[in-house]
Amino acid sequence: MTARRTRIFWMAFAVILALLIVMPFGLPEFWRRFLTEILIWGLLAMSSDILIGYTGMVSFGHSAFFGLGMYGAAAALLTTRPPSLWLALLYGLIAAATVAAFVAYFSTRLRDIYFAITTLIFSQIFYVIIFTWTDATGGENGLAFSRPALAIPGLFSLPFTTLTLYWFVLAVVTGSYLVLRRITRSPFGMVLQSIRENEARTRAIGYPVERYKIVAVMFSGLFAGLAGVLYAIQNRFAAPDFVFFVVSGEAVIYNIMGGVGTLVGPIVGAAAFLLLREGLSRLFPYLASVASQHGLALPGLAEFPYLIPLGIIFIAIVIFMPQGLLGFARRRLNE
Amino acid sequence: MAADLSSAALAAAAAPVGAAPVLRTEDLGIRFGGLAALNGVNFAVARGEIRAVIGPNGAGKSTFFNCLTGVLRPSSGRILFNDDEITGLSPNRISRKGIARSYQITNILPNATTLENVRIAAQSRRHGWSLFTHHRAFRDIIEKAEAVLATVGLAAKADELAANLSHGEQRNLEIGIALATEPQLLCLDEPTAGMSAGETDDTIALVRRIARDLTILIVEHDMTVVMGLAHRITVLHYGAILAEGTPAEIQSNPRVLEVYLKT
Repeated sequence: MTARRTRIFWMAFAVILALLIVMPFGLPEFWRRFLTEILIWGLLAMSSDILIGYTGMVSFGHSAFFGLGMYGAAAALLTTRPPSLWLALLYGLIAAATVAAFVAYFSTRLRDIYFAITTLIFSQIFYVIIFTWTDATGGENGLAFSRPALAIPGLFSLPFTTLTLYWFVLAVVTGSYLVLRRITRSPFGMVLQSIRENEARTRAIGYPVERYKIVAVMFSGLFAGLAGVLYAIQNRFAAPDFVFFVVSGEAVIYNIMGGVGTLVGPIVGAAAFLLLREGLSRLFPYLASVASQHGLALPGLAEFPYLIPLGIIFIAIVIFMPQGLLGFARRRLNE
Repeated sequence: MAADLSSAALAAAAAPVGAAPVLRTEDLGIRFGGLAALNGVNFAVARGEIRAVIGPNGAGKSTFFNCLTGVLRPSSGRILFNDDEITGLSPNRISRKGIARSYQITNILPNATTLENVRIAAQSRRHGWSLFTHHRAFRDIIEKAEAVLATVGLAAKADELAANLSHGEQRNLEIGIALATEPQLLCLDEPTAGMSAGETDDTIALVRRIARDLTILIVEHDMTVVMGLAHRITVLHYGAILAEGTPAEIQSNPRVLEVYLKT
């Protein structure tokens, strides 16, 4: 039974990965970049799933980890010649992990809403620091830099194209998924789930719950930082907007849309949300142009605030698919 | 007769000659505002003993357990376990010293399987920080968990969600979780609460079986359970020890009859 399920899982994994590898061939430049961004936001959402879905803690501090990954990468890319991809990853991960350790140490003493608020406050503190420390961070304007090459010194050096960058990001996100999946099934991951289910009982059977939470936040922050590094490389800038807590909120929304506690769900959620937003933002101008072709003048239709239907769809998903898109699909497949 | 002795003398009498008590409290007290929930409790239990703690509602039985297991920090006095002071340690540290407990209100992981409930408890002693190995790869933990399930009679329900077990089965799973941490002292808080007569008999037999290797403290309202199981009984009343002795002594103690057994 379980062996069969494992086989089905790996077959599905291989098919989906193969599809993702060939997908950009049929797509124009814009959509290739869009797909890359979906994967990056998916990685951010997946990193926060470790806390939301597995440990039962909602973090609004992920923008800080994501942002520090970005600025860490920026530091490496601006200070080293030629800019090195691996140093960008290293600096970004160190910056994110340091901040995650700091935030984790203080916030995990608190539970539920108090944990969420504390992480939110921390991310805002880092936002203010980055926003005002103009000499180092570029302040409001952020930092711009050039993209490093995909290189192993002494062996080869390939400049990134949209396509190779997509594959690189796909490889990193797939690797992260496999690592996180393994962590969630390790004895450590089972303790996190036990904390989610019954924190007091988990403590009573001998687990130092706070220490487990600290390590969980650090892992989560590390992968959020990795997403930040990828975003910096993709867009060649770091900006304070990405440290603002709203980014953390988006990660939570992707989780809820896709299904918490599944790792893949948050990526599905990010894809659904970003595609819907993009589609809806084009829908109303398109409808207006079709209408005008038929001699109908509908004033204001082109400028219709498309976030309203997006919000309605989100609310509908929360009400009718409380386990998210992936949870809903899984149930349907099992029936 | 026993009621005339001071509680300190009672504590000394509780330990058989030559056997150091596994657990001892010295002048244990806890206050909630103006209320002294426990007051000057001198208690000792010998290794291998089954000790019942009884008393009217609000006598301080659960508070006493909560102090022993670190959920509450005593306001005064000391708790010694194997002559090692554990007063005010966190619940996880006390669990690691070898004290486990079950709860009055069923306290399990409802969305995990029966096996996972005890497996996670067994894992608390070994491999808890392993990050990159699948949890099922640790056969020693799974074997331990399966052995515990067999002991508490739930081997056939291993793959069932804990939430789907009957009330009686959940009560026994509760004991299984505590047992899986390999305790020396097991505190059972009303293990037969809400059970049918048949289930109660099974649980009494279970407690007898596991008592061969452990010291057991049991809080219970069902007097047939208490009288049938306990070697000795401690009666708490208003947070203090009212009497202590064998079941026969307690049953004939006029003060115990007055405040508790007759009501």
